[in-house]
Amino acid sequence: MTAGAGVRPALRRLSGAPLGLLALIALFTILRPTVFPDPGNLSNLLEHIAVLTIVACAQTVVMAVADFDLSVGATASFSGVIAAQLLVAGWPTVAAIAAAMAAGVVIGVVNGWLVAYLKLSAFVATLASMTALAGGSLLLTDGSTIFGLPDDFLLLGQSRPLGIPTVVLIAITVGAVTWFLLSRTAQGRRWHAVGGNAEAATYAGIDVGRTRLLAFVVSGAGAALAGLLLSSRLASAHPTAGDPLMLTSIAAVFIGLTAAQAARPSVAGTILGVVVLGVLDNGLNLLDVNPYVQQILTGLIIVVSVGLSRRRGERP
Amino acid sequence: MRMRHLSIAVALVLAASGCGSGTAQPPGAPAISVVTPYLANAATKDVVDKFTAIGERRGWQVTVTDTAGDFSMLNDKIQSAASRRPSAIVLAMGDPTQLTLGLKAAGDNKVPVFAIDAAQADGIAANVTSDNADLGRKSAAALLEAIGGSGNVAMFGHDPHPGVRARAAAARAEFDKAGVTVVTVKHVPVPGPVEGARKLTTDLLAVTPDLKGIWAAWDEPALGATQAIRQAGRMGIAVVGVDGQDFALAEIQKAGPFYATVKQDWDAVALKVADLITDQLAGKAPTQREYALPGTTIARTT
Repeated sequence: MTAGAGVRPALRRLSGAPLGLLALIALFTILRPTVFPDPGNLSNLLEHIAVLTIVACAQTVVMAVADFDLSVGATASFSGVIAAQLLVAGWPTVAAIAAAMAAGVVIGVVNGWLVAYLKLSAFVATLASMTALAGGSLLLTDGSTIFGLPDDFLLLGQSRPLGIPTVVLIAITVGAVTWFLLSRTAQGRRWHAVGGNAEAATYAGIDVGRTRLLAFVVSGAGAALAGLLLSSRLASAHPTAGDPLMLTSIAAVFIGLTAAQAARPSVAGTILGVVVLGVLDNGLNLLDVNPYVQQILTGLIIVVSVGLSRRRGERP
Repeated sequence: MRMRHLSIAVALVLAASGCGSGTAQPPGAPAISVVTPYLANAATKDVVDKFTAIGERRGWQVTVTDTAGDFSMLNDKIQSAASRRPSAIVLAMGDPTQLTLGLKAAGDNKVPVFAIDAAQADGIAANVTSDNADLGRKSAAALLEAIGGSGNVAMFGHDPHPGVRARAAAARAEFDKAGVTVVTVKHVPVPGPVEGARKLTTDLLAVTPDLKGIWAAWDEPALGATQAIRQAGRMGIAVVGVDGQDFALAEIQKAGPFYATVKQDWDAVALKVADLITDQLAGKAPTQREYALPGTTIARTT
């Protein structure tokens, strides 16, 4: 066996997102050697991607059952608005947070019921709930930004115990819990089984409807948590604050797919996808690249990484 | 079963129509259709509400339609409104260059279109706006005052909005005239301008150690910039915004990085549009294509 023969398979395994991430890190380190690898910048980067990580992990669960959730951004906006309105109305912080989380769970149940039992496509069901939630957020806020949130609520998104942002700690916890659920539990195996082949899963005795519904509940809860963190971080709630999270969370899962040999959604792959998007955004900002060009580059990277993954999958 | 579904659907539609934004007025009242792509924006909502209230007091039937940033749908809504031949259509803060189809339909139906904070264009009888150049100049002057008239500044804008583009151009001219260096001009994403500006500012602070000020074209990105500056502990950097939103005034009162905002006089804008429509209903067309009203600077020192 030659050294080259060992390196080539290793490089092949590194294709897609991991290779892309390494290339981006190398590129930005060379072009901005004093700023990009600076611990302060890396800490900022982690804080920037924390909220997206939570939504993307939740989206991974839905995509594991071969569905997707277009309403995660609107759910995040809605939960932030609910919490802010209740806090401004004088509710205790814990109660407001619980109510916002409950709203996320209810949204997940409705989405799951529409998809799993009413047999609507995930696209139609979550598009409908996204639209309705966007209207609900606007109605609740009268289109305005809610501010004046209490200090104890702001701790959730702005405190830094031991210098580590709380949002990062929460994102790590959510990532770990989602990874454990998907990879180490019977429920996780059921999610993957339904995503792999729903019919076969039914024959294997899995309650496909319940399994899909639970995936949407996880998604709703994750999105609600992200919305709470966003509102706390921004010290305000805006009816569209969480909207950009929808497309980027789906993009992160797709980029993450390029890292997995099995080509099925995984938490590790998704977090890699989130990091790729975060590094790209951060690096291009540091280089002061035209923002319109940034959007083009982000789109290209998604296409190239997913395309490479496809080619690798087709290889005998 | 089908009849039952049909009745539920009819009941829902009737219930929804009862919750509509149209105002109850006697039959024969002048109908005014307000259309906008930006009702989620606090300033747009503010001016549309003010105009609606004035219209109701004058006995008009005012309906408000939002397309949530969708300009294609906005064309459809204007076409559909024009076919009903209201007394006037009011376009609130949409770029009229993207609305030629809708404006042509309004013209074909002889329905006058008045614009709030949009732009002059064929098919627009008159545009009433804050003087965006004035807003740009005043906000730039406030930032220059905050930074002592020299140093590096960054600008946060959003070019697809013609008003924002105009105020950014005027602010830039003021900075150039004062010899202040504009180190970068950033595009703030919409939706999500607060979080977007916060991220942009965090990255900007990492590469610009000598930054002295951030000019934001409206208050939401100014708020995001303020939060990033506060978190980074770079309290010497001043931020100004435009709009005079309540949250901006609250930030200015804290005497932190948010130094000033320039309040747009939405009461005066809404009243002027209503007056122009009243004249139009009396058969008197506007004498100008554009009416630009000045803003008021609200700074820490005022």
